[in-house]
Amino acid sequence: MNRCKTLNESRTSRRGGLLLGVFLVGCSLGTSCAGGPLASAAAPDGDAAIKAFVASHCVRCHDAVKQEGGFRIDTLPLDCGDAGVAEKWAEALGRINAGEMPPEEEPRPTAAELGGMLEAVAAKLDAGLAARMARRDPVNLYRLSREEYAYTIEDMLGVFVDNGQPGGLIEDPRFHGFERVGAVLALAPAHMERYVRAADAVIQAAFPDTLPASQTHFQSPNGNQKREAGDQRPAVRWLMRPSLRRGLFYATVAGRYRIRFVLSGLPSHKGRVPHLAIWHDATKRTVAGIDVVADEKSPTTVEIEAWLPTGQFNFLNQAAGVFAENTQGGTPMTVVELKLPARPDGLKLLGEDGKPILPLLLVDSVEVEGPIVTTEEQARRASFVPAQGKEDDPAELRACLRRFAERAWRRPVADAELESYEKFYAAERAEGESALAAHRAVLTSMLVARSFLHLEEGSAGERRPQVNDFELAARLSYFLWSSLPDEDLTAAARSGALSSPEGLAAQVDRMLADPKIERFLESFPRQWLQLYRVGMFQPDPVLYPDYDPWLEQSMVLETTASFREVFRENLPLGQLLDADWTMLNPRLAIHYGLPVPKEPGLRRVSLKPEDHRGGILTQASTLSLTSDGTRHRPVHRGAWVSEAIFARTPPPPPPNVEPLEPVPSDQPKATIREQLAAHSTNATCASCHSKIDPLGLAFDNFDAIGRWRTHERVEGGTGDDPPVDASGTLPDGRSFAGPAEFKRLLAESPDAFARAFVEQLATYALRRVMTVDDAAALDAITAQSKADGYRLQSLVRALVTSDLFRKR
Amino acid sequence: MRLAGALAATLVAGVACCGLRAADTPPEQALRDHVPKPGEFPPAGAGVQTAGDLVVVDPMNRRGGLRIDRGPGTPEKRLFFQMLPYGMARYHGAPAELRDIPPGTHVHVRLLLPPEAEKDLVPPLSEEEAKNPANRLLRYTHALEIEDDFSFYSRRGRAWKVVALEPGVGLKESRFELTLDPEGPAVEGGVNERMNFVLDTSTRIWKERRLVSRDAIEPGQIVQVNLTWSMPNQKQEYGITDLWLDEESRAAFTELQRENHLMHQKSRFVPGWVDAVENGDTGRGVVTVTLFGGMDPSLYEELETAKDKVLQLTVAEPTLRTWLYHQENAPRGNVVSWSRVPEPPPGSSGIQLKLDVELRQGFMPGRVVRAKRPGWIYVLLPHDEWLMSEADLQKASKWELP
Repeated sequence: MNRCKTLNESRTSRRGGLLLGVFLVGCSLGTSCAGGPLASAAAPDGDAAIKAFVASHCVRCHDAVKQEGGFRIDTLPLDCGDAGVAEKWAEALGRINAGEMPPEEEPRPTAAELGGMLEAVAAKLDAGLAARMARRDPVNLYRLSREEYAYTIEDMLGVFVDNGQPGGLIEDPRFHGFERVGAVLALAPAHMERYVRAADAVIQAAFPDTLPASQTHFQSPNGNQKREAGDQRPAVRWLMRPSLRRGLFYATVAGRYRIRFVLSGLPSHKGRVPHLAIWHDATKRTVAGIDVVADEKSPTTVEIEAWLPTGQFNFLNQAAGVFAENTQGGTPMTVVELKLPARPDGLKLLGEDGKPILPLLLVDSVEVEGPIVTTEEQARRASFVPAQGKEDDPAELRACLRRFAERAWRRPVADAELESYEKFYAAERAEGESALAAHRAVLTSMLVARSFLHLEEGSAGERRPQVNDFELAARLSYFLWSSLPDEDLTAAARSGALSSPEGLAAQVDRMLADPKIERFLESFPRQWLQLYRVGMFQPDPVLYPDYDPWLEQSMVLETTASFREVFRENLPLGQLLDADWTMLNPRLAIHYGLPVPKEPGLRRVSLKPEDHRGGILTQASTLSLTSDGTRHRPVHRGAWVSEAIFARTPPPPPPNVEPLEPVPSDQPKATIREQLAAHSTNATCASCHSKIDPLGLAFDNFDAIGRWRTHERVEGGTGDDPPVDASGTLPDGRSFAGPAEFKRLLAESPDAFARAFVEQLATYALRRVMTVDDAAALDAITAQSKADGYRLQSLVRALVTSDLFRKR
Repeated sequence: MRLAGALAATLVAGVACCGLRAADTPPEQALRDHVPKPGEFPPAGAGVQTAGDLVVVDPMNRRGGLRIDRGPGTPEKRLFFQMLPYGMARYHGAPAELRDIPPGTHVHVRLLLPPEAEKDLVPPLSEEEAKNPANRLLRYTHALEIEDDFSFYSRRGRAWKVVALEPGVGLKESRFELTLDPEGPAVEGGVNERMNFVLDTSTRIWKERRLVSRDAIEPGQIVQVNLTWSMPNQKQEYGITDLWLDEESRAAFTELQRENHLMHQKSRFVPGWVDAVENGDTGRGVVTVTLFGGMDPSLYEELETAKDKVLQLTVAEPTLRTWLYHQENAPRGNVVSWSRVPEPPPGSSGIQLKLDVELRQGFMPGRVVRAKRPGWIYVLLPHDEWLMSEADLQKASKWELP
């Protein structure tokens, strides 16, 4: 059977067992791809290719006369907007793709025939799916993602919803990385159960019977009292080597806490910086962390403010090391000063010169204060609760409920909508509940209302082509802030100011300058680039002993910080693809083999060509998210580039793919590229892989965790590790010698990337998949942005002020 | 000369010959007075050679005391020594530890001046004592080699041929005079002429791997002997503790000691020291180790051929003592390289290996370590061998002489 083979993900074997699969690419790069599947779906060439193939190879057995297997293809429509039709085409595609059809005894299709047919059917299926997902009813409901839920609650009530907690809100399904596409965010009974529980906890935390008093816990190796001035005893310090942890405090109440450390942070002899982390025992995760650099003789004060769930917390030095996965409790050694210990059998902390070889923390004291509730938060919450003495005043109750509902539901609320809640309150009171308890029950029920859990767009019984001002405000707010509109934005919606281009532009300017824009700057690149996949397959600790949780976090931070930098400086979009700078912290600098910054934190660093970095394509995050934990996977990298950079999703691999075996011990070592080439002798396979593989092979100079290399490490086999070949040719014929040239080629013709980026941005903003109906609007936004070189802020402004953004 | 007095005279002459001649040239003096340094093996011929009865043994710390051979009329001297970390012992013709050599055994020792850091480990002579030329040898307190007569002679291709066994003239009935001729090449520092030894009822006589009676001794037999001080009288006399009449018995004893040695080293690990360390900053690093010499070759081979090239390394002190649960405190590492130099200096095996391993603080250049192959016998050492604390280390760093 014909079979084109390439790498597919597999965790079945640590050093081998990589599965082979097929990626059929429904697009090519360059101008031919500008329209993408939207354009491909409408392309007459595609239709012709399908019809010709069906006529030559299918109808003999699947026409009106002879419906083999009960399947007739000659009358099957090409429009896959109907799910039944799409299902049949998907079945046909799968069979052809797997080599089952045409049967062996039938004439074989040529590579061009097969490639063209499969490509066209895949595009049809994509377009059909998009159309079905984007179908609009009189009222469209877009459920909040759990991230948006948490931000909404935080902005409204000052209560933190911890999505990392087990038993919390259910993780949202993703559509090509996006967590907010309404069509896939269903609302099942299981969701409702979690929403009720979450709402109950939120309201209880916001409106407790008694506000928990803030407390302060102090501890130090010299005792639990602060040292008095003039104390002559030598002060001792906790010596925290990597992974050693110590008890911090037990939070009996979830809330915002301020944790203050006085400590020194001594980088390793190679510049690796100690990372102070707060560890939650119950969920075994880091809830906050910061790099610390301070001389032994000049300790610094570090303050961490974080929302903490209940439970035991520890602090630890989470710097990388062989101990990273083995965080150990116990009391750290106390020292007066750092010097070579008399006992030599402990872990080696100091080098021959007496200076740290590992990143070390010397902790003098720790102070925890909380839970903290600001007066502003208290005032905000108070407006939702009747004033003392007026608990059963109907007017006061209605005013409070209206304030709460309009805020929560992001729209004006009619009296009739409040009546049922008022009755509920009365019923609770009649049952003997206190005024506050009854009020809590009502507010809880408002937080599980459809209007809170969903963005509602449209009106029953009416087919509006555009969103109204309140819906626009919510759309804008959730796009840029992942949260509800603030009072200014709501006021603009109420006053009609949003309807005017000037009014809208003023609000957009204000929102872009608001600190909450950080949410967009973190969330959009994370979803667009599918950064959730970083660390999904944990790198093998034997092959990659240097990998650690902070490196993993730093990888993602580099990418989101780069996006932030392009946004903040309003740089051209092309800077995301190729740049002479990146955002580095000491941990990443070590990973990249670049000079290690002396200060902690991410900062912009200039790059030279020999650094081999610059742009998201050569960042460790995007290079590692397609790996399987043992080796890089060039085909997956190509598929990711196709999807993230060109908004083109290759069809999935066929079934029954065979694993790529490890190099036999008696055979010369071979790169994955060479192994793939040896397997991909079939012309059909080659026709597909020629489009996608170059996008991934261009990055063969980077290993599975994104480190630069000139030779590929090969387990097994004879001889030396083979040199890397990262050269290739783009589908438009332009060739490149390696990743730098590849990035340059992409950056030189930014139109295709800009068009794809606008599509991704619109998907995120409008919470739906773009369809062929949106193509013209997307083209227009892209064209509008081209004038100033596709600068990022300008592009965002162009989107939110476009007709598309107002379109329902 | 007809009895052991000749031996003593010969040995004393040997001592003088090896080390303490006033007429040494400056290079000879420099070699003789070579001061060991951490991380460096001494040059060939360094130090002085002497012999005497081993009269004190501190097996844990590898220390001992010698009653130095003396000639008639010369005062009896005791010399206390610390085995150098790379100091080698042999017993019954096989590698050994000092603990294997019973007190009372006559041994041959090569001694060096103390390393700078260990000048006070063996309490130095008082100013007054140091002025006495007769005490000059006592300054050499660190042993490079120690071996019994069996090992000393057989290793140099020397044996003895039985001439006669007769009741000793003027001796009690239970004591006999065994006359032996040297068989083989002359040995520097040894006895190279016909010699009479005391053989009594406590002497163990070995033939065909069994204890036999005096009757088995026949003229012309090629034998080896181990000696001891015999009886306190006016003359220095040497008695025979063991007499091996045939090769089969000698080979059996050698093999027993070799097995004893293997058991000891496999449970305590093969010592060496750190030449260099490439410190990583994730807890690992590459440690370059040179293994000490004097071990049975099979130990080095087993290390070299360890499965998956994995070895374990633990921190040790110059006494070769290890810390606490040395088995547990021996991180596993991967052998990065393994090389040999053909003619290593005394104390060195000539084997240098590089191990990529989780680092311990004691993995520092010049420090002693011990290496094992996973799978070697797992032994929890007797606690008296452990070092458990800084106080233990302090206690072991100075010898309170008996």
